[in-house]
Amino acid sequence: MSPNGHSRDRKKVVASNNLYTIFLALAFCTVFATALFVGYMCYIQYGTIFKIS
Amino acid sequence: MSRLTQILIILVVVSSLFLCGIVVTYVANADNYKQKYDDLRSDKDSMSRKVRNLTEQVNQEIEQKKQLEDRLSAEIASLTSQVDKLQNDLKNAEREKSALLQRVNSWASIVEDFSKTNDEQGQLLKNTLDELKKVQAEQIKSRKELNETTTVLVEKMAIIETLDAETKRLLEEKTELQNRFDELLRPLGKAAAPAVPVTPTREVARPARPGVRDIELRGLVTAVDLKNSMAGISIGSADGVKEGMRFHVTRGDDFLCDILIIDVDAEEAVGVLELVQQQPKVGDNVSTNL
Repeated sequence: MSPNGHSRDRKKVVASNNLYTIFLALAFCTVFATALFVGYMCYIQYGTIFKIS
Repeated sequence: MSRLTQILIILVVVSSLFLCGIVVTYVANADNYKQKYDDLRSDKDSMSRKVRNLTEQVNQEIEQKKQLEDRLSAEIASLTSQVDKLQNDLKNAEREKSALLQRVNSWASIVEDFSKTNDEQGQLLKNTLDELKKVQAEQIKSRKELNETTTVLVEKMAIIETLDAETKRLLEEKTELQNRFDELLRPLGKAAAPAVPVTPTREVARPARPGVRDIELRGLVTAVDLKNSMAGISIGSADGVKEGMRFHVTRGDDFLCDILIIDVDAEEAVGVLELVQQQPKVGDNVSTNL
């Protein structure tokens, strides 16, 4: 097994459908924004994000 | 891309949107428990401080209350003793009041009796004064009669003296005539018969010996007490003065009053003034007869 062979087997990833990719990105952004908002609120109200004082 | 993958992507997107919306809504509307905790803690601390202050105040109040209670207890004890003392004083005062009321009642009855007696005495005095006026009028009348009688008596005494002088003169003439007659009869050897009076002498009834009233006692007023209507005279039992004798006080020809003797010494006597016409003085004459 040589490194050349490995790079030879590697294929270019291409989205099969851009519309569904946009849906997934939207879902990811929503979850990420929600996590940021929850973290911000925790920091504002309790002074920390993970610890329980 | 298979159909199943597409459906799953749609489901994931929808569920993620739904769940994120719920989470954001919940977090945005959730209470700030830390702030509440801090507020409650500060409230608790302030309340604890208040409780401590109030406890200290309560303790101070209790201490003050104890002191006040002790002081009030002492005052109550002293006031109780004062109340007992005042009750005893009140009882004594009531006892004295009842005794004084009894005395007042007795005095009131005595005063009432005295008033009655005084009225009776006043009435008696009025009657006595009326009788005294009558007696004084009778006395004045008797005195007039006595003066008239004395005048007549003096005239009669003068006549008697004249008659006595005439009798004496006649007796002397009789003796002289008898001597002459004896001288004339002596040479003849005869004697004159004793003379017999033409009118026989009769034994005349004589008045009884004068009583004490008629004994002439004379003296002077030695002391006068007009306040008590008393007077003293200068003669006593050695001169024949006795209790109950009545002396007349005169000044010149004026009648002043009577003295009723109530006490007798050897050389002086004391009596009560009666029938006072004028006030007697020391040196006025007193006598049993006017």
